[in-house]
Amino acid sequence: MTVLLSGRDIEKSYGPTPALRRVDIEVGEGEIVAVTGPSGCGKSTLLHCLSGIMRADAGTVTYRDQDLGLWSEARRSELRRSEFGVLFQFGQLVPELTAAENVALPLLLAGSGRREARKSAMSWLERLDVGDLAEVPPGEMSGGQQQRCAVARALITAPRVLFADEPTGALDVLTGEQVLTGITEIARDRGMAVVLVTHEPRIAAYADREVTLRDGRVDATGLGLGLAS
Amino acid sequence: MKPATLLRLALAGSGTDTLRVVFTAVSSALAGLTVLSAATVIAIPELGGPDSGSDGWNSQYRSSLLAEPGLRPGVVATLLLAAVPIVALAGQCVRFGSPGRDRRLAAIRLAGATPRQAVLIAAGETAMAATVGSIAGLGVYLVLHRVLHRPYADGRLPLPTDVLPSAPEVVGILLVVPVLAGLAAVLLLRKVIITPFGVVRRARGRKPSVLPGVLIIAGVFAPLMIRPFGEWLLTQNVVRGSTAFLIGATLMIVAAIVGVVIGTGWIAYTAGRVLRRYARRPGALLAGRQLMADPWSGSRTFASLLAAVIIGAGVYAYRSYLLTMFAATKQANALAGDGGGSFYDTGFYLGAIDLINVTIGIGAVIAAIGILVAVAEGIVSRRRAYAALVAQGVPRRTLGEALAWRAFAPLVPAVLIALSVGVGLIRTPLPAVSVTPRRCGGEPTQCVQLPELTLAVPVPFRDLALIGGSALVLMTLVVGAALLVLRTSTDLEELRTG
Amino acid sequence: MSTPYVLLGLLASAPRHGYDLKRAHDERLPLAKPLAFGQVYATLGRLERDGYVEQSGQDRAGGPDRTWYVITDPGRDHLDEWLSAVEPPAPHVTSTLFSKVVVSLLVADAGRAREYLIAQRAAHTARMRELTAIKSRPGAAIGDIVAADYAIAHLDADLRWLQTTLLRVADLEKEVTG
Repeated sequence: MTVLLSGRDIEKSYGPTPALRRVDIEVGEGEIVAVTGPSGCGKSTLLHCLSGIMRADAGTVTYRDQDLGLWSEARRSELRRSEFGVLFQFGQLVPELTAAENVALPLLLAGSGRREARKSAMSWLERLDVGDLAEVPPGEMSGGQQQRCAVARALITAPRVLFADEPTGALDVLTGEQVLTGITEIARDRGMAVVLVTHEPRIAAYADREVTLRDGRVDATGLGLGLAS
Repeated sequence: MKPATLLRLALAGSGTDTLRVVFTAVSSALAGLTVLSAATVIAIPELGGPDSGSDGWNSQYRSSLLAEPGLRPGVVATLLLAAVPIVALAGQCVRFGSPGRDRRLAAIRLAGATPRQAVLIAAGETAMAATVGSIAGLGVYLVLHRVLHRPYADGRLPLPTDVLPSAPEVVGILLVVPVLAGLAAVLLLRKVIITPFGVVRRARGRKPSVLPGVLIIAGVFAPLMIRPFGEWLLTQNVVRGSTAFLIGATLMIVAAIVGVVIGTGWIAYTAGRVLRRYARRPGALLAGRQLMADPWSGSRTFASLLAAVIIGAGVYAYRSYLLTMFAATKQANALAGDGGGSFYDTGFYLGAIDLINVTIGIGAVIAAIGILVAVAEGIVSRRRAYAALVAQGVPRRTLGEALAWRAFAPLVPAVLIALSVGVGLIRTPLPAVSVTPRRCGGEPTQCVQLPELTLAVPVPFRDLALIGGSALVLMTLVVGAALLVLRTSTDLEELRTG
Repeated sequence: MSTPYVLLGLLASAPRHGYDLKRAHDERLPLAKPLAFGQVYATLGRLERDGYVEQSGQDRAGGPDRTWYVITDPGRDHLDEWLSAVEPPAPHVTSTLFSKVVVSLLVADAGRAREYLIAQRAAHTARMRELTAIKSRPGAAIGDIVAADYAIAHLDADLRWLQTTLLRVADLEKEVTG
């Protein structure tokens, strides 16, 4: 299986506090990888570095044999509306736009005309069972509905990698299950890779394999047992 | 990004965004009005050539500023110059962030917008608001045009309300104001970084270089060079008053002003250091640290206030020079036996200068409003930190004091420097007036030259104090308003997440 | 039932007599059903028959209660085998899981305990993945989904307990071997 995205020796600190210390990770084409660990272990930071939202302080992030660290902020932003999809727990939908406009946003930012973008948006919203909420702003929807709109937005550009950070954190068990099942189905359908950050084993169980972090380092034991090995 | 998309994203505002939009629209309306007035003056028809003398005057106007074709360009230039800070103010409104807008822009960046696209969206709102504003300005202009058309008893007009700029000119103005406001907005967002997680201000950590200080001193002494420079030009067969001379003189004046303006960072930093060293009260110490950490915050508009002070001081110095010249010629004429009059229409010149002063005053008020916007924006963007401080027990009063110290500590020395530079610019080349009276008998050949009469031009201390005092008063009003903003911003409601 | 292994584990560190074994068992596994003396001797009898323990002398001071038992080499191997084997992750493994974790630490070989715990966790997570796939398959019967949910919930609970236990491991280890 070809390696699509990889991180080598990634380091990242927030001021004096180190969040990631020499982390290695690989994601193959079409692979679903869960990144797990207790809160504060650096999993979200790793996701931000891998997706190009943040630049690592040291180490390389390679996507399709290109070093993302050498890319400008603008070019990395463009990745998010073409080959990368991003799904967070909250804070990604624009409250002042309708659902359809939110979902169409990546296409619109890439230069699509409003009509085609809207058509794509509608088809995704319907596929995720929230088609009748197309003209509703996110503030007037339930958490589950919002998250489904966010999923639609993440997938509308047919990305090759989906980065999901605790996507079901704010949802109840069944709704969360629906979202995850939807994502994994689509991923298998289209050979899309998924990097799924979660602290729950139940959610990690939707992945093909797991990478556990602890204190900013990869923990091969998965249990936080003596990292010095 | 297609224009339709830009439009939709730029206009997706609500709540506090409305305030910003209104502010931008009002400033643009004012700018539009000013430029339209300049266009009206330009529209006054030229009646004759350069040698027509008073036949070429548009005598339907009472004021010779409008009637004399040689003076109108000066009026137009003043109006256009006055429009510049107003447009800058409209552009500066883009810095007045709000939590809603920050969240919106962050989410848009997360969806894949490049930093440039995010800036365009923010500036797009300014441009849209400015369009609405300039159209409103046109409306106000047309109303004023009708309403202010009140001829005097002799049929003459106080203002050029009998002419209108041509339609293409009007349309051009309606387009130019939003475009300039948008450009100003883009420029002013340089220091703001819009990340997918929020909007941050890039604070400069470095100590401002002493270079601007050197520039200031160079600017102060530059006028000393004007006379020898002029003499050098004469030796080069350049005619006094020709373009080259004017350009050279203007450059030097601009350098002095730019030096003071850039030097505000250094002034603020040094004021901070002095406060840190000598202050006792917690508010002053806090202000000192804040000034040292971020000497440039709000300093651009602070600089425009200083520019207004410099120009105002220069104008008053020139006024003093004119008065001296009138007095000198009057004395000379008295000695020459021609009676006590003077050839000059003193009323006209002094009136023109007063008009210029009024314009500068308006510019200063605009600059003060700009400072208020910058300071308020700074407070609002740090409201969480402020609210946390208040919750921990720092009295609001101390925060207010810090604000006041931060405003006045750099202001007082800066105003003093600005006043001296302004006066120096005029006074150094023109410290005194010399007239050579001639007493003539009946025949021209019998004229006898009398000894040269020299009057020193007094420094107009009273006027300078007036300028300095007005600047301080304006700043006091700004600080007062800012304290109100601080009061509402440190509401503990701000500590709730979201 | 894991009682034979618990006894073997208790004997691995030192020879004990029957009464001591019962006392130690109840102390170390307070939430398990207390061992009846009859059960202790029955189990010891079976272990002896299988050659995993042997009697090593009598304390003449009393009756059968004072017979000392010691673990044999085959006994040690048998215990090792049991400890290395991963519990098939299915519901109701909790008590065995508990025993195994405690005994691992009782045997006081940190490296061995580590290996076991890592392997057990990997087995649990692999099984959870399988069950999740079964659940998510399009057209899965409601019965399958409900059963899978049940198993996943218990496996999740096991993992959670495992993680927490490791955080307390220092205290637990002291108590068990002390």
